[in-house]
Parts: sequence; structure tokens; C-alpha cells
Amino acid sequence: MSNLLRATFAQTGFPDAFHGLTLAHYLFVSALMFTLGLIGFITRRNLIIMFLCTELMFQAAAVALIAFGRYHLNFDGQTFVIFIITVAAAEAAMALALIVLLFRKKESLSAEEWDELKG
Amino acid sequence: MGYVIHPAIFYALWVLGGLGICIALPRRKASPQLLGALIAALAGGLVLIALGITAREHLPNLYFYIFSLLGLGSALRVITHPRPVYAALYFILTVLSSAGLFLILSAEFMAFALIIVYAGAILITYLFVIMLATQAPEEGEVEVLASYDVEAREPIAATIVGFLLLAVLTTMLFRGIEKLPLPGPVANNSLLTEMPRKVEGVLRNNDILKEGGTVSVADAATSAFIIRNPGEEERYLPIEQWPEELSVKNVEHLGFNLLRDHPGTIEIAGVILLMAMLGAVVLSRKQVQMDEEAKGHQARVLARDTLAGVNPGDGRSRFEAPRPLPTSNGAGGHA
Repeated sequence: MSNLLRATFAQTGFPDAFHGLTLAHYLFVSALMFTLGLIGFITRRNLIIMFLCTELMFQAAAVALIAFGRYHLNFDGQTFVIFIITVAAAEAAMALALIVLLFRKKESLSAEEWDELKG
Repeated sequence: MGYVIHPAIFYALWVLGGLGICIALPRRKASPQLLGALIAALAGGLVLIALGITAREHLPNLYFYIFSLLGLGSALRVITHPRPVYAALYFILTVLSSAGLFLILSAEFMAFALIIVYAGAILITYLFVIMLATQAPEEGEVEVLASYDVEAREPIAATIVGFLLLAVLTTMLFRGIEKLPLPGPVANNSLLTEMPRKVEGVLRNNDILKEGGTVSVADAATSAFIIRNPGEEERYLPIEQWPEELSVKNVEHLGFNLLRDHPGTIEIAGVILLMAMLGAVVLSRKQVQMDEEAKGHQARVLARDTLAGVNPGDGRSRFEAPRPLPTSNGAGGHA
């Protein structure tokens, strides 16, 4: 039991490698967060919340990248997360501009108002 | 078998979790959101406990559990809360707890960048747009939620699809992750040879390097240092005698990785942001609709103002009532 407690409170310093099973915990959180974002994107009908859910999926990807980077003691993962944040910011700017444009036309945020856009 | 947890247990728990999420999604009639959230939390918690029992020796620390509970709980709230403003605020909570996860993964720079950029900038933009794009209730009216906010679209199908993906993902993920090889030892300090000023500063602050002394690298591979102090013999500083702060920090690692190993990436990121900004400005520009008469009037006012600048003494008021343009002047309306 004390062993378990010690492991629970252990704060491993950076240069120490960690085990694949510790990595699995982070990947589990990341996968669950991604799934929640996906379900939200499909089920919600408010355009703003749909884009909020894509941001949730970006978050999940960032957690997975940083966990893998920590596992491999490699910094490429963190560099890539900078790009995720950049792309998320660009996406938010474009998406919100589009939403404002669409809202001016129909006074509604419902995604189903725009079903005539189908190809 | 090579499985961390038996797949059958996984599938059972994911069915339970999917049921919980499906119940928690907003519905027009009475929706037992709390019950659904509790069922989903039970399923997620059981998976974490099962994972923890297998990984008894390799548990992450307590903060991992706190942050992941907070993060996943508020992520669930993002997708189930009927009011967009609250969903955005819960998303900020998710961002803060993933920043906490980054911290315990010793990615300090990314944690704070995430808070500054996501919680500070992107989410505030979202909040502004939510405020812009929501009608305020009229005087004396009770605020009603828009119909597209109170009802989820296809909750059952979406949950099945999502949890099918999750089940496949996690089964593949946890299969044989025990046997992942540990990475070899990293030359954590080899970057120090590229930061002579930092080495010198740290050694001076710890009184290892005296006034007028110099330090040089003995061997680039092991990054051992040679200390030359005036009036003393040249000596070799082995790694055991290094002061505590003579190590490469996360930000320094990241800086070298970003600017030395991947040169030009920051510029590309800048170009992406610039294009997004231009696109957003062009898209959300408001086009003012004017009929022909208003355009003609606008053109005349402009022309008069220009003339008035050249010849200020002509005494006419600048605020004259608009006069209809002569119809013979066909091009007048397009000024």
C-alpha cells in the first residue's frame, strides 16, 4: 500500500524516462477527450459549439503529442504543439468570421439553416 | 496475450460510457444530465482504475488524476451544456486542466503558451462572437434558449460512432504497450556546449569561476568543462560537481528544437496567421447597401468637401438636404 501511495505522489524529474504504462494513462485521457469532441461536433447544432468541439479535438491531439514527446524525451512533439495552437487560432479566426457573416444573413446560428448549401 | 486490459472489459465499459453520454446530451423533454454524467464518469473511472491496477509500479502521480478528471468532466459539460456561453467557459476549464497535464509532463513553456493563447485569446474571441450572435430578449420578456441549443441532433448514432472509434483506438493503444522499449539515455546536457554565456554565468554565481577566469569545453560529447582561474591550476569540472542550475531547461530545449532543428517554421506559422487574419477581415466586412440616390448624395458631399478644402470661402453649408441627380448624368451614381 505504501508503495502504491509513493508511486501516486511521485514527481518524476524531466530526464528520467517513464514507462509505457504511464504513457498509456495520458493517451487514454487524450483519446477520451477526442471522442467527446467528436460526439459534440456531430450532435450539437449550434455552429459556435461545433467549432468549440473542434478545438476540443485539437486539445486532445496536443495532449497526445506532448505525452509521446515526454516518453521519447524528444522535443519535436512540443514544437508541433506550437503549430497546433497556430492552426487552432487561424481556424478560430476564419470560422468566427464565417459565423458572423452567416448570422447576419439568417439571424440564426443553427447549422441546419444552411442545408441548401449541399452540393 | 499482450493486452493491458482484456478487450471484453473494455468494450463493456465503453458501452456503459456511451450510454451515459447519450443520456447526458441535451434533449427537449426532461433530460437527466447529471445521471448520464455520473454513468459516464463511472465508466471512465473504472477504465482508469483497471489501467492503474495493471500499471501498479508505473502510476502517474496524483495530479494527473485531478487534472484529467477536471478536464474530461468539463469537456463533457462543453458538449452537453445548452447555453453557448457556459460551454465556452467550461472549455476554458478544459484548457486549464490540459495545461496542468502539460506541466506534469514537464512541458512548462507549452502549458503557459496554451493558457495565454487559448484561454486568453481564442476563447475570448469565441465569447465575443457568442455575444454578437445572440439576440438579447426584448424588454419584459423571459429569455428562451434557441431551439437548436436545447436539442441534440442524432445523439444515439453519434455516441455509437464516437465510442466505436474510442474502443478501437484504445484496444489498439493498450495492446502491448507494456513492451514498448524505454528510450535510451539522452545526452541531456550536450546543448550546454552551445550556451557558453549561460555556463559562464552559472559558474560565476556559484563561485566556481573567479574574477578573470575562463571556462572552455573539454569534450563536446560529454560536455565537460575546463576551468581556468587566475593563480590556480587548470582544472576539469566533472558532472558530479556541477551546480544544480547548470542544466538545460525545457524552454532552452524547445528554443533549440524550434529555431535550430526546424528553421523557418516560425515564419510559416506567421504566414498562416497573416492569411487567416486577412481572410477574417475580408469575410466579416460589412457591406453597406445604398440605393442610387444615396450614392449620388454621398458622392456630392464628398466632392463638395474636397472643393471646400480648396476654396473655403464660398459660404455654402456642408449639410444640405440631398437633391436628386439630373437624370441625364448616367454615370453620376457610380462615383
